[in-house]
Amino acid sequence: MHAHISRRQFLARGGKAALGVGLAGSLLSGCGGGGGGGGQVTYWSNLEGSGPQAYFKKSIEKPFEKANGGTDLKVTFQPPDEMDRLVRTALQGGEGPDIIMTPGPAYAQEYIDANLFAELDDYSSEYKWEDKLLGWALDLGRYEDKLYAIPYQLQTMLLYYNKTLFEDKGMAPPKNRDELEAMAEELQGQGITPFAAGIGDDPAAIEWFPTVFWNHYSGPDALYQALTGEIPFSDPIFVEAIDLFNSYVQKGWFGGSQEKFFSNGFDALHADLGDGKAGTNVEGSWFLATINDYFENSGDAWDWAPLPPLRSGVPAELYELGIGSTLSVNGRAENAEGAAAFIDYLVADKKRAAEWMAAVPSAFNAPLPFSESDFPSSMDERVARQLAALSQATNQGNFGYTAWTFWPSKSDVYIQEEMQKVLTGDITAAEFCRGLDEQFTEERKEGAVPKIIKPGGAA
Amino acid sequence: MAQGAAKSASTGGLRRRRLLSAWLFMVPLLVVNLLVILGPSVATVYYSFTEWSGIGPAEWVGLQNYRDIVADVDFWSALLHNLIWTMIFLTVPIGMGLLGAFLLSQITRFQMIFRVLYFIPYVIASVVNAALWQNILDPSRGIGSALATVGIPFLDGVSFFGSERLALPAVAFVDNWHWWGFVVLLFLTALQSVDKELYEAAKMDGANRWQQFINVTIPGIRATLVFVVLITIIGSLLVFDYIYIITQGGPAGASEVVGTLMYKEAFARFEAGYAAAMGLGLSFMSGLVIVVFLFLRRRGWEI
Repeated sequence: MHAHISRRQFLARGGKAALGVGLAGSLLSGCGGGGGGGGQVTYWSNLEGSGPQAYFKKSIEKPFEKANGGTDLKVTFQPPDEMDRLVRTALQGGEGPDIIMTPGPAYAQEYIDANLFAELDDYSSEYKWEDKLLGWALDLGRYEDKLYAIPYQLQTMLLYYNKTLFEDKGMAPPKNRDELEAMAEELQGQGITPFAAGIGDDPAAIEWFPTVFWNHYSGPDALYQALTGEIPFSDPIFVEAIDLFNSYVQKGWFGGSQEKFFSNGFDALHADLGDGKAGTNVEGSWFLATINDYFENSGDAWDWAPLPPLRSGVPAELYELGIGSTLSVNGRAENAEGAAAFIDYLVADKKRAAEWMAAVPSAFNAPLPFSESDFPSSMDERVARQLAALSQATNQGNFGYTAWTFWPSKSDVYIQEEMQKVLTGDITAAEFCRGLDEQFTEERKEGAVPKIIKPGGAA
Repeated sequence: MAQGAAKSASTGGLRRRRLLSAWLFMVPLLVVNLLVILGPSVATVYYSFTEWSGIGPAEWVGLQNYRDIVADVDFWSALLHNLIWTMIFLTVPIGMGLLGAFLLSQITRFQMIFRVLYFIPYVIASVVNAALWQNILDPSRGIGSALATVGIPFLDGVSFFGSERLALPAVAFVDNWHWWGFVVLLFLTALQSVDKELYEAAKMDGANRWQQFINVTIPGIRATLVFVVLITIIGSLLVFDYIYIITQGGPAGASEVVGTLMYKEAFARFEAGYAAAMGLGLSFMSGLVIVVFLFLRRRGWEI
């Protein structure tokens, strides 16, 4: 899924960061521009919070208009959770903005099937996106060898931990399953929740956990085979991963107890991490934007680590790839040139993108080949390290798959709904995986599975 | 005779003009109804016979969606939760409302203060009410842990919204908290219209408080009581907001109702045609309640 509450929260709070970094001047100087001279371009953004919105208007919208011959960029900020419904409704009525944002490739594919998006290959040549963007990102936006969508808002899952607590206890982030289980037992024995976790604010967020366990237990190669239909999701390798997660929840490692896992809200679980009542938190990279807020009270330090492999043979440093949104040009756009020019301006310029990623940390990550030195000095070192690690790992093919990006929508909803029943004991892990396989196979036959890019290790 | 004919013609003209004026006043409402209610309703009926994702062309599938609903375990589970919800709301808030109104009717001082206090939750937005109670009932930081610190531990760690057993009644409790004050005011208004002499007569006949309540109060407020029952049944069939805000139907479908299931079908699974069929099913059930109500009235029931 698409727009988790935690991400909304951090976008709203990102205002503080946006207002604090003072990057407007440098962005103004980093002019882009291209073929979008004149006319109006309409864009619906999922950016929340008055601070980030003011920053966007001042440091992106106005400089773009100036650099593109007076093009009038008309931006409307829409609630992230409502965006797809609003876009869907507008497109049904033959309307909608010139630039269409979708919650991910599976959604984009649906619009492409309905012939609602313009082809972007000419613009890709004009703006040299092949040279600028990460190769897999362009692959992900291609359907039947034609480019229609640019993946945006890159995400991954990370293990955040209370560094002060870990140092006090003489512990280090786990590097394999044995270390992870030893850490969890040690923390729980001392009355500390091993993993701050809960889906009370957003039950769909349960999909984070099958995502993590399938990637780090079953492995990206097995997932690639399943997503491309070579092996079924009922394969024991996937069932075992779900059983493992369920066993951890039943032990109370995630959120304190099974029932608390269902009711804990994001604010409470994040506060537990900051206060040292919980040792770690498995969450997406979007949490980087607000994590500091939760450590202010205690004064503790935090850091992140890659999620460890839970079975031998799984890569040690593996980042499951999530796409928070895609950008496309509306097939009915009156100013398609201007729309493409803005997508290029927003996404494809490394310096501008890095500064925007620093202004609202880790929210609008562009699919560009970053290294740590590309980011401004104002960016938190831990954020820069994560962004560079994700960019480099995915560039080398060392990535996994997130449910909200690579599973078709009905299979994704199946995971969100039925995974809960595994934890409550209403169904077994094997039944869950069998049901998923049936749903996925049906959607695969319908052609609803988005393009599955191949990880580096997959044969 | 001629005079009579002229008078009749004049009366007829006046009637036509009045009729025309009435229709002219009704035209804006009719147009709004046609555009906002009838149009989408007809579209919903059509889409309920199609397979449609919400965009692109819809494919005609006849009665398939309705057949699927009949075989859909999740739908029947959700409908059962609607029925449980209905039973809760036909008893708890109506009982509390009657009691509250009766007690309020017995006092004159501070009555207005109590009326306002009872009514406040009703005017607070559902998201605010929900957030308030999510915090109060939080298993780690809510009232349970606060009571535990003063030596009353029985609620400590209880996860009201995270337990399959407690989630539905817990959300119903929150919804009831906002709703029952409104019911009190409805009943109080009705009580004030009951003739005081009837109570005096009942007292003279030796009726105690309970007998007065059963034999004077209830018949006196019957119309309001039936109205509350009617809106409770329809509201319970269509319930959505508090459940969607607090649990979104979870955990594991334990608080799922047809409204939340329908929303997920339309906007998460993109089965807009199936969701339309589900919506029509709900509308049919609500309509049935109204038809039964009208039928009973026509049969002479004083409701």
